[in-house]
Amino acid sequence: MNSDPRTTVLYPRHRDAGANMGDFGGYRMPLWYPAGMRREHRAVIMGAGLFDTSHMAVVTVVGLGAHALLQRTFSKDLDRAGAGGGPLADGRCAYGAFLNPRGHVIDDAIVCRRGPEDFFVVVNAGMGPTVAGHLVAVADAAGPLVSDFSDQVAKLDLQGPASARILGRLLEAPERAFQGLGYFAFKGHFDPRHPDAEVVLLDDGTPLLLSRTGYTGEFGFELFVAPDRAPGLWDRLLTAGAEYGLIPCGLAARDSLRAGAVLPLSHQDIGDWLFIHHPWFFALPLAADGRTFTKDFIGAAALLEGAAGAPHTLAFVGRDPRKVGTGPDTRVLDERGRSIGVVLTCATDTAIGWVEGRIVSLASPGRPEGFDPKGLSCGFVRVRKPLPAGTPLVLEDGRRRIEVVVTADIRPDRTARRPMTQMWG
Amino acid sequence: MKEIDALNLPEDVRYAEDHEWLRPSEDAARIGISDYAQDQLGDIVYVELPAVGRRLTKGEEFGTVESVKAVSSLYMPVGGEVTAVNEQLAEAPELVNTDPYGQGWMIEVKVTDVAEVAALMDRAAYLKALGG
Repeated sequence: MNSDPRTTVLYPRHRDAGANMGDFGGYRMPLWYPAGMRREHRAVIMGAGLFDTSHMAVVTVVGLGAHALLQRTFSKDLDRAGAGGGPLADGRCAYGAFLNPRGHVIDDAIVCRRGPEDFFVVVNAGMGPTVAGHLVAVADAAGPLVSDFSDQVAKLDLQGPASARILGRLLEAPERAFQGLGYFAFKGHFDPRHPDAEVVLLDDGTPLLLSRTGYTGEFGFELFVAPDRAPGLWDRLLTAGAEYGLIPCGLAARDSLRAGAVLPLSHQDIGDWLFIHHPWFFALPLAADGRTFTKDFIGAAALLEGAAGAPHTLAFVGRDPRKVGTGPDTRVLDERGRSIGVVLTCATDTAIGWVEGRIVSLASPGRPEGFDPKGLSCGFVRVRKPLPAGTPLVLEDGRRRIEVVVTADIRPDRTARRPMTQMWG
Repeated sequence: MKEIDALNLPEDVRYAEDHEWLRPSEDAARIGISDYAQDQLGDIVYVELPAVGRRLTKGEEFGTVESVKAVSSLYMPVGGEVTAVNEQLAEAPELVNTDPYGQGWMIEVKVTDVAEVAALMDRAAYLKALGG
């Protein structure tokens, strides 16, 4: 990364709010606000939280050959990523990754289809030039126009079960905006000159690109907006959301929420190794046999050839909030004490706890009265063999050892996929 | 992040470079971490403390404090024998955030060498060390 971290257009808001700041992806970003990560994490589970995610990058791929270019480079099969296994429809998004020919991850991404040859691609902080450069290198000379759009858009993530009720108060026509906005659907445009800019407007005329996506596992939206409109939208959301418990949230809560929701962090849980044998199998174009792909794409051959010897990435959950470090100096020990891998992510989901052998969340309908969990460590390990859920493991970082189990899922009763009709009105 | 002039830095404790505080007393000195330290660490989710009766020298690790960010070591500001630990922190580690010099205390020690207490920083020296 460059020497001095960049700031987002909302930096003065974070500074004025007294946020603890840290560097992430080349940006100076809020880690937590004075409320603290624990309250921020819980706000998203119980009410709503507002995240500045303007550090993320957007690449547009537009024009003849756009679809073909993404089919060649993106791990998800866009011809089968839609409802009922059909093509991805206009106004819908798909999660996947861009791989190099060795089958390693360049970055993960959400590809959003505006039209048959019109896509925008949301990638990670600082990855705009890398992903755009990769796409341009792969495209034919007469290929589609690939542009790094990152500096022309700001992004606010409004996440949590109260998100629709809060945003609804600021929209000119909330019924129309929310109509048919299912999980991984989007509408509108942030550029006032774009024809779709009329589709989702705030009551002050600000156009939004409104997307039913996020990185918390909870119901909510990603709001793409012109940078000069972002501070006003930030302020108005916090005011409108106060009675629903909306508070600004930093990257620490974002990390603990996504870990509990079994979502990977690019360049940490997926990265410079084969993108296969992990909890995100839905990002691959797996055929019905589970062993072949429905399309060819860059990296596919390496994945199929290397699958037999490739490491396995597994989710785990601990017994209490205690964490270990991550990275190459950690060890994962199996039941016989043999070192079988490393820890990729270890965070504390502060909204969950064990109750009679089951993980229970603050949002679980059957939680015990007065349930106030201390949280559970959770995350991902990369090991050299497949292990079924329930397998006990010991994680070690040189300072401490914690006992964990392999798990298929972490925080229960998440709300991300709830139908719009349940969350609005 | 708290501005330096917003930090709670009481006069009745002495401070170590690693941001522990010690409140001197005839029988046993209490030890905890400063407001600056808890603010830097963020929400504390777990505190590990030593067994009562352990003898530790100045600079030796007496436990760990686990925050959102990381697991951090706690170091003895002076040498001594641990005579009590704050059992409340097992159930309510957040007391270190909300009341670092009061209910968020960590251990009590019988100080081996009182000269080590005198060598710790007073409020003014600690404030200066923090850049204030």
